[in-house]
Amino acid sequence: MAESSSISNPDANSNLSRKRRKIEPKTPAGAPTETGRPRWQNDVEQQIYSLKLVDALCHLRRPDSAAATSRAVRDAADQVLAVSARGKTRWSRAILTGRLSLRLAHINKKHKKAAKRAAVGESRTKKPAVQKKLPPLEKKVKVLSRLVPGCRKVSLPNLLEETTDYIAALEMQVKAMTFLTGLLNGAVSSSAAASGDSSLADRG
Amino acid sequence: MDKDYFMNAEIPWNGLNNCTAEQSFLEPNMDQFSHFESSLSSGLSNDAFVLRELIGKLGGGAGIGTSTTFAAESHPFTNTTNDSSSLSSPKLNFMGNLVNSVPLTPPPPPLPSLSTDPGFAERAAKFSCFGSRSFNGRTSSPIQPLGLNNGDVALRSSHHPLMGNGKLPRVSSTPSLNKLQNGSNKILMEIPISRPGNGNGNGMGFGSDKKLSKLSGSGANSNEESSVSEQIISGETGSKISNEMSSRKRKVVSKGKPKEDRSTSAKGVEEGEDGNAKRAKAAEIETKNEEETKGACNDESEKQKGNQKPPEPPKDYIHVRARRGQATDSHSLAERVRREKISERMKLLQDLVPGCNKVTGKALMLDEIINYVQSLQRQVEFLSMKLASVNPGLDVNMENLLSKDMFQQNTSLPQQMYPLDSSGPAFYHQQNVQQLHNTNISSGPLVDPLPLDAPNLGIHLPSVDGFNESISQFSAFTEDDLQSIVQMGFIQNPVSFPVPNQTTNMKVER
Repeated sequence: MAESSSISNPDANSNLSRKRRKIEPKTPAGAPTETGRPRWQNDVEQQIYSLKLVDALCHLRRPDSAAATSRAVRDAADQVLAVSARGKTRWSRAILTGRLSLRLAHINKKHKKAAKRAAVGESRTKKPAVQKKLPPLEKKVKVLSRLVPGCRKVSLPNLLEETTDYIAALEMQVKAMTFLTGLLNGAVSSSAAASGDSSLADRG
Repeated sequence: MDKDYFMNAEIPWNGLNNCTAEQSFLEPNMDQFSHFESSLSSGLSNDAFVLRELIGKLGGGAGIGTSTTFAAESHPFTNTTNDSSSLSSPKLNFMGNLVNSVPLTPPPPPLPSLSTDPGFAERAAKFSCFGSRSFNGRTSSPIQPLGLNNGDVALRSSHHPLMGNGKLPRVSSTPSLNKLQNGSNKILMEIPISRPGNGNGNGMGFGSDKKLSKLSGSGANSNEESSVSEQIISGETGSKISNEMSSRKRKVVSKGKPKEDRSTSAKGVEEGEDGNAKRAKAAEIETKNEEETKGACNDESEKQKGNQKPPEPPKDYIHVRARRGQATDSHSLAERVRREKISERMKLLQDLVPGCNKVTGKALMLDEIINYVQSLQRQVEFLSMKLASVNPGLDVNMENLLSKDMFQQNTSLPQQMYPLDSSGPAFYHQQNVQQLHNTNISSGPLVDPLPLDAPNLGIHLPSVDGFNESISQFSAFTEDDLQSIVQMGFIQNPVSFPVPNQTTNMKVER
């Protein structure tokens, strides 16, 4: 609570006023590039993120009530997280551009697959030559690169750097979402309690 | 061309009558100054070397004493090499002194040696390793003789064992440095970076030290620059240095002036210009590496090692010194740099991922990291699912929530909570709400000013047994609590918030 309370009214008001936009492309030019924990464990960051997330969820609800899927919520959360990253990291940029290029990628993939199948049909029958067994380290690196969005073809040192930032950001995201969930639940429960009470009172 | 070079070089030959000086410099004694010219023209771009050459050649020409125009300035040779103006003047002064006072005895012999590249190359190779320490140590000493300046130059220079010709150290300031500063800022930066404890060139050169310090000011070039500068320090005369360093200077030279014997350097210059961007980027890496390697190269033995170390290949933009007892192959160097980068990042990750301290080795660490990232992502999914389920109330609650957040500290707005009551029925259909509803929770908390105040939530909210868990699990959590939750990895165990049941109810309700 302290985090959100510390946010001044103007900030919240501005957030409210920007309800139209789900994504707020705030990219301060002169922001210092901190990495890892110090950047994401900032209370201010968390507050900013929470507010933005609330805002985004609000938007999510309004247009269509059917979008209450967890995936939609999760995507919204990820997008807000990426926005908070201010585009300094690869994974955040990948998340932000992911949606836009997602459909394109799907279409392209389909085309490519079709083309490949046509062309490579015969070669598939021939067993591929002995494949070099990737060292287990390499495999893990690949797995990790798949986990971090947008980092499939990134070299190892950069990948590790991205992972550092990504882990810190994820931690903050979990924190904020937990808090938000608790808040909502609390509000819900309290409101339910209130209504229950009022109903009780009515009956009584 | 040389004239142009001087002009462009912005050499503030302050006291110098530019045209005349240059002309006198360049033209009249072309035969004597031919080397000088070439070295000047090409060397200036190559910073210190040129100075050396210049001085050396001046020394040679001093005996001739025709170019008395240099004697104009009589500024004391300051130690502030970084001051361009001072540079020019001291240089002039120096030259004047050279000309006027003691003609450098060694100069003539060095000149031919200067022009011979191979000899220079050998020497440069010898002095390829220059330790920053030794360098720094030198700075004080060289500065003194520089300060003395008059007539001592020759003597001092002759004393330098490493210097083939004894005059090189003087080169320190002057136009070449100025030019260096102006033209190749990058070069300067490199020097401090890449001086991994080479003590070799120390003897060589106070002048070189100054140059190096100046160089250090300028830019972030690859460490090769530093090696270059080191070599400069070693007091190699300009031509030798330039030739020798041409490969190194490639990167440094920003204004390459192709000269007849600088053809290679000219080539190098272009490469250098191309590589500048890379170098600038690599500079930081180099700095890091250099620092690491510097620590390793501290001994005298390092000096010798440095001596024996072959000049780095031109393509190697990351200037890393081979540590003692390690392979000096460029490939292995690059590999080592890469490995160090990776291990650095892994260490950072180790701090971030809980439970990674006991694990050693890349593979296991990567396993841990992967697991952790996956668990975090799963958490996010779970939470988003929860949020989605709660969401229907989000619209109505939005402002309330925000207002609640804002009013967390504000205890005087209990009435703000009342709107929730009206929206209460909306939540009845919520799953969570139903739980609460069944338990007949009182609406007490709404009355209280801070029902959502985290620490109080557990207390103020009606604590019904069935309700207790969910409430205590979420609404009672402060950030600290959340942190602890996160550290637990997952909200599996509802934190048993000490929520007294009936007593708080009583408190809450009225």
